[in-house]
Amino acid sequence: MAEPGFSGPAIPLARWADRQLRLLAQETGAAAHRELTGQTLLGERGSANGYTINGRISAGVGGSRLMPTRDGGWLALTLLRAEDRALLPALFGHDGFDLSDPDAIAAEVVQHDGAELVARGRLLGLPVASADEVPVSPPVEVLTEGPRRQREAGRPPVVIDLSAIWAGPLIGHLLWLAGAEVTKVESLTRPDLIRRDDPRTFDLINQGKANVLIDFADPAQKAVLVEHIRAADIVIESSRVRALRQLGIDAAALVAETPGLVWLSVTGHGARGEAAGWAGIGNDCGVAAGLSRALADVCGEIGYVGDAIADPLTGITGARAAWTAWREGRACRIGLAMSAIAARALAEERAFDRALLDAELRGWGAAAAGPFPTVPARAMRAPVRAPGADNRDWGLPPC
Amino acid sequence: MKPGTRLKSAACDTEVMVIRCADGEIQCGGAPMGEAKPAEAAPLSADFSGGTLMGKRYVDADGKYELLCVKPGKGSLAVDGVALVTKDAKPLPASD
Repeated sequence: MAEPGFSGPAIPLARWADRQLRLLAQETGAAAHRELTGQTLLGERGSANGYTINGRISAGVGGSRLMPTRDGGWLALTLLRAEDRALLPALFGHDGFDLSDPDAIAAEVVQHDGAELVARGRLLGLPVASADEVPVSPPVEVLTEGPRRQREAGRPPVVIDLSAIWAGPLIGHLLWLAGAEVTKVESLTRPDLIRRDDPRTFDLINQGKANVLIDFADPAQKAVLVEHIRAADIVIESSRVRALRQLGIDAAALVAETPGLVWLSVTGHGARGEAAGWAGIGNDCGVAAGLSRALADVCGEIGYVGDAIADPLTGITGARAAWTAWREGRACRIGLAMSAIAARALAEERAFDRALLDAELRGWGAAAAGPFPTVPARAMRAPVRAPGADNRDWGLPPC
Repeated sequence: MKPGTRLKSAACDTEVMVIRCADGEIQCGGAPMGEAKPAEAAPLSADFSGGTLMGKRYVDADGKYELLCVKPGKGSLAVDGVALVTKDAKPLPASD
């Protein structure tokens, strides 16, 4: 990277992200979109937090690991929560190994075939992936459609952002950069933990959003949320499909009833069928997309590519899908599958310039054990609202 | 019983995966669960007919048992006649 402020290897697929951003900027006309680069969006989290490139261990907190399986494949398993670790005896069919020891877990993995672990892991709700799988869902899929609405020219979209972590909130952020009025809605009992775990990223992608805290156990508060959803233009959520249904929020029904409502469902592997129940987060979804296999093919060593790379790729893709549907006044529920989005980015980048991509993958592999690329930190444009700071505006109890 | 064992309800469609268990009898809809479905369905007990939810984890008060629902049904889960309750899902930490 020759540009000022950038150093370290190019993040493979940053050029794809860049082209998507150029298209987004054309569609929205937003100056803030023209100023963004793919390397910035893919690299700003790792750069700001001083991550290293760790090969078979994900950059950052290192919660995702690639481990060899009995049949010669590679399994990616992301373990971030104690209650996910508690599922490991069921994954391997016995207990009596140290759940906290990565080497003990790897010793179990190698005694099983990859397909068996992926199938069982997904049944258990663990974020698992095989380096050699093919994503089962389309990257962007219209799941249901509702009545059209004639748009008033010049009015920015009203967005309700129910999502957490990185991909979904980044969609909300990109829409905000184009003038959208965004309200981040968090659950009283399940807030977005990025605020605590990675405040720099949280602030960057949630700045300028109003904040409302909802007690989902209270039917009256849930009714207030549904009322605001009916009045909104775009909804973003990243809940497991069945979790949303179990909360009593029926996305398909709301889209069918509300003219022009655009509903984005951000998922790991798809919003329909069996895949709707699978867990997937940024790094393992990148593996499921074939990125780690692509790295191994050119440099002989497998590893993670980028930092939770499927998240920012999905953020850009989702923003484009939402903006386009909103402009057309088209009510629809759109499923975004992170693994399939990363797989499409890889395929399109290969078609765009295979030699350049392979050179970047080689550069990424050679940078293992070194620092994550540096990108210039984006300046904050607006304050970050405290949890529940805007509850009063929704007529909800203050926090 | 080994962790990872799949058990089927004799009284409804429920299937669970054993995460953790002790020596008690795991039941659904008032009837013992087994690895195979019995030829004849057991009656669904009115006291254990609250239903199971896909993807939910069910636990006992002492933390000795934990079952993951992998197929929902009309019965509810119990061990030796004592109903199990759902374990609340925890939020996800940083994306990784």
